[in-house]
Amino acid sequence: MKNKVQPAFRQLTVMFLMTVFQLICMADVLNLKKGDEIIIIYTFLAFIALEWLYMMFGTIIAKNDYFELETIGFFLSGIGLTVCASFSKEFAEKQAVSIVLGLITYIFILFVSKDAKIAGALRYPAAVFSLIILTANLMLAKATNGALNWIKIGSFSIQPSEIVKITFIFVGAVSLDKLLSSASLTKYIIFSITCIGCLFVMKDFGTALIFFFTFILIAFMRSGDIRTIILICTVALMGAALIIYFKPYVAKRFSAFRHVWEMSDTLGYQQTRVMIYSASGGLFGLGIGNGRLRNIFAASTDLVFGLICEELGLIVDIAVLLSFVFIAVFAVRNAKNSCSTFHAIASVASAGLLLFQLSLNVFGVTDLLPLTGVTMPFVSRGGSSMICSWGLIAFIKAAGQPFVPPKPDISMSKKRTSKKVIK
Amino acid sequence: MKSIANRSSVIYALVIAFIAGVGFLLFSFYKYGNEWATDRTNRHIYSNRTVTNAGTIFDRNGIVLAKSENGKRYFSDDKQVRKAVLHIVGDTSGFISTGTHTLFDDLLIGYTRINGIYSLTKKGTGNDIVLNIDAGACKAAYNAFGDYNGAVAVYNYKTGELLCSVSRISYDPHNVPDNLRTDEKYEGVFIDRVVSGLYTPGSIMKIITAASAIENIPDIYEQKFVCSGEYKTGDGKVVCNGVHGEIDFQKAMNESCNCAFANISIQLGAEKILETAQKFGFNKKINAKDVPLAKSTFYPDSNSKTELAWAGIGQSTTLVNPCHFLTIIGCIANEGHGFAPDRIKTTGSAVIKRMPQEIISIEPEIANKLNALLRSNVQDKYGDNKFQGLVMCGKTGTAEIDGAKSHSWFAGYSMNSEFPLAAICIAENAGWGSGAALNICNTVLHYFLNNGIS
Repeated sequence: MKNKVQPAFRQLTVMFLMTVFQLICMADVLNLKKGDEIIIIYTFLAFIALEWLYMMFGTIIAKNDYFELETIGFFLSGIGLTVCASFSKEFAEKQAVSIVLGLITYIFILFVSKDAKIAGALRYPAAVFSLIILTANLMLAKATNGALNWIKIGSFSIQPSEIVKITFIFVGAVSLDKLLSSASLTKYIIFSITCIGCLFVMKDFGTALIFFFTFILIAFMRSGDIRTIILICTVALMGAALIIYFKPYVAKRFSAFRHVWEMSDTLGYQQTRVMIYSASGGLFGLGIGNGRLRNIFAASTDLVFGLICEELGLIVDIAVLLSFVFIAVFAVRNAKNSCSTFHAIASVASAGLLLFQLSLNVFGVTDLLPLTGVTMPFVSRGGSSMICSWGLIAFIKAAGQPFVPPKPDISMSKKRTSKKVIK
Repeated sequence: MKSIANRSSVIYALVIAFIAGVGFLLFSFYKYGNEWATDRTNRHIYSNRTVTNAGTIFDRNGIVLAKSENGKRYFSDDKQVRKAVLHIVGDTSGFISTGTHTLFDDLLIGYTRINGIYSLTKKGTGNDIVLNIDAGACKAAYNAFGDYNGAVAVYNYKTGELLCSVSRISYDPHNVPDNLRTDEKYEGVFIDRVVSGLYTPGSIMKIITAASAIENIPDIYEQKFVCSGEYKTGDGKVVCNGVHGEIDFQKAMNESCNCAFANISIQLGAEKILETAQKFGFNKKINAKDVPLAKSTFYPDSNSKTELAWAGIGQSTTLVNPCHFLTIIGCIANEGHGFAPDRIKTTGSAVIKRMPQEIISIEPEIANKLNALLRSNVQDKYGDNKFQGLVMCGKTGTAEIDGAKSHSWFAGYSMNSEFPLAAICIAENAGWGSGAALNICNTVLHYFLNNGIS
C-alpha cells in the first residue's frame, strides 16, 4: 500500500473548473429575474469565497492539497445551493448558512476524531446527547407531514435524527474500538435499539432503516461474522412482519411501490411526477427554473433528484450520483490505511450510510425502492441534513489523516513524508 | 486491526449494488422515457390532460387535420372531414387510444432521449406528422355509410400506404356532444373500429377456408358439391343461403355456398383450417407498424362437426379485425406479401423513407389461386360493370348476429396496376345481402379513380 504512487490531485484546476460551473449556475439563476439578484449574487460569491478560503488555509495547515472529499462536498453543496436559489432568496440564504454550519461541523469532527483519546472521552456525552435530543424530539415535536421528526425553536427547525446520525456512528465506532467486550457491545446494542425505536415511534421509517443499516454495517465491521448479521436481519424482518401485522397502515403507506402509475394521483403522485419530469429534461435539462416538478411538494428536498434531472439534465444528475461513489471509494481506501479501528469503522459506516441514504432517496422517488421520504445528502434543502452530510465525510477524511504521534510538535508524519519522497 | 480494515471492502458490494440500480434506472429512462414524458399529467404538454402545443398533422395532400394555435388545438376546417378522420387523428384527451395524437404523442411534442422535451418548451411545438390518409377519400367514405355504422379502410397493397380509414360512429371534435358518454348511440365512439374492432366475419372467412382447401385437398378443383339448401354434418346441420344444386369449388366460392364450404371444412378438419388461419395471422397479436391491432380469433371446435362447419363459413366463435383482414386481402393481391397498412408518411424532419413491413406471408402459388377465385367472384357474380376501370377481385360476406340485423362485409382489391388498392368494409346491421359494404368500398375506390392517388 505504501508503495502506491498517488497521482497528484490538481486542486487548483479542479477548483477553477468548479468555480466556473458555479458561476454558470448563478448566472442561470439570475436569469430567472425574480428581483433578488443582489442577494443571490452575494450568496453565491460568499459560497465560492468560502471554498477558496477553506482550500487556501487548508493547504497551509495540512501542508498538502489532498482535498478530494471537500471538493466533492462543495460540488454537491453548490448544486443544492443553486436549486435553493432558484426557489427564493430566503432558501438560498438559509442553505448558504447551512453550508457554513456544515463546514464548521466538519472541522470540529475532524479535530475531535483526530485523537482517539478525545474521541473515547466524548463517547458517553455523545450517546447521552443523542438520546436526549431524540426523546426531546418525541415529546416536543408536532406532527409534520406525517412524521414527527422536527423540533421548532423560534424560526429554526432542526431535525434531531440527522444530528444523531453523526453521533450514532461516533459512539458505535468509539465504543467498539475502546473495549471489544460484550459489555461494551451490549451497551451499544441498547443504544442502537433506543435510537431506532424512537424513529419508529416518530414514523420516520426511512431514517430508522438507515440507522438499522448503519448498525448492521458497524456490527459487521466489528465481528466480521456473516452469521450474526444474518441472524440480526432475520430478527429484524420478523419484527417488521409483526409491525405490518399489527399496524397495517404501515404497509399501506408503501402499497404504491411498483404500482405508482396506477396510483398516480394518490400514493404514487410524487414518484410519477419525478419520472415524468425527469424524462422531460433529457440529458441537458430544460434550464434552471424552467421545470414543472418544482411545483410539487418536497421538490427541493426529497424529490431533488428529479428536479436536477428536469432542469439541469441527466448528465449533472449522474455526476452527482458518481460523486457519492467516489466518496465511498475514498472511504474504503482511507479505512484500509487508517491507524485505528475507530477510524476504519467510522469511515466505512459513514460511507455506507451516505450511499444507503442516497439509494433510498434516488431509487425511492423513481420507484425502484419504496418511497421513504429521506433526503439526498448535501443536495437536498435543509440545514440538519447538510450538517449531517459534512459531519459524516469528516469521519472519512479523519481516517485518511496521517498517524499523529504523541508529540504534536513533530507534525510531519512518516507516512506522508514517505509518499512525498516517492512522488 | 488488519482484518477490520479488510472488511471495509464490504462497501464495494454496496457500490456495485448502487451502480446496478443506477444502470437499471438509466435503462428505464431509455426504454420508458417517452411514455413518462408524454404522460397526461405532464403540465409542460397538457393542460387538463388535453394536448395544447404539439406539431401539425397533415393528410397526404397537405391538408391540415390538426394544429396548435395560441395554446389551443384545432382540427380540420371541414366538419365532415373532422368526423371522418377523427379516429385516425385522435382526440386531444387521449380517449381514442389508437389515434395519432396518442400513439405518436412523443413525436408530436418533439420528445427525444437526448433533449427530452426541450424543443417544445423553447419553440412551443413539436414535430409535424404527414399521414398517408387522404382526407377527401375519408369524407367520401364517411358519407357513403349513410345511416349505418361500421368501418372502412383502403390501402395500397404494394407500398402499405393506408389511404383511407374511417370508423363510424364518430363525432365532431370542435363541437363535442354533451351526451357523448351517456347516449347509447355513442357507445364505443372512442374505439377505432378499423384497428380495434372485432366482428364475426361471415362469408369473407371462406377465403381462409378456401386457402386451406387449396393447400391441403389435392383434388379440390375436381370435387363436386351438392347443395340442397342445407348440409347435414352428422351431429347437426348447416343452412345455406340458397339451393345451388351440383357445383364445383369455384362456383361454390362465387355463390358463397354454405353447404359446399361446410363439406370442405369437415374434409379439412379443425387442425388444418386452424393451421392456415394462423398462417394468415389469426390468434396472434399483430401490429400494423406502430398501431396495435385487435387480435382476430379463430378456434374451430374439433369435437363438433357442426361447429367446425360453421367456423369454416365464418360464423361460430370466429372474430376478425377489419385492418387485419385488409392485410390478408392485400397479401393475396400482392402475390403472398401482406404489407402492414401504414398511416404515417413522414414524421418531423425525418427524411428516411418508411419501408413497407411484411406482416403476413403466404406461398405465391396459393395467393394466385385465391386471386383467381376472387376475380371470378366479381366477373361471374357481382359484375365488372359495378367496378368499372378497376379490374376488381373480392368477396362479400354477411355476418349473422344473434337478435339483430346481419353485418354486411366486403373485402376486395383492384388489379389495375395504376390503382393497386385493397379495401375492406363492414357496415353494421346493414342486413342480409344488402351489398352496403360493397357499395361503400366501391365509392372510395372510385374516389381514387377520379381524383388519382397523389
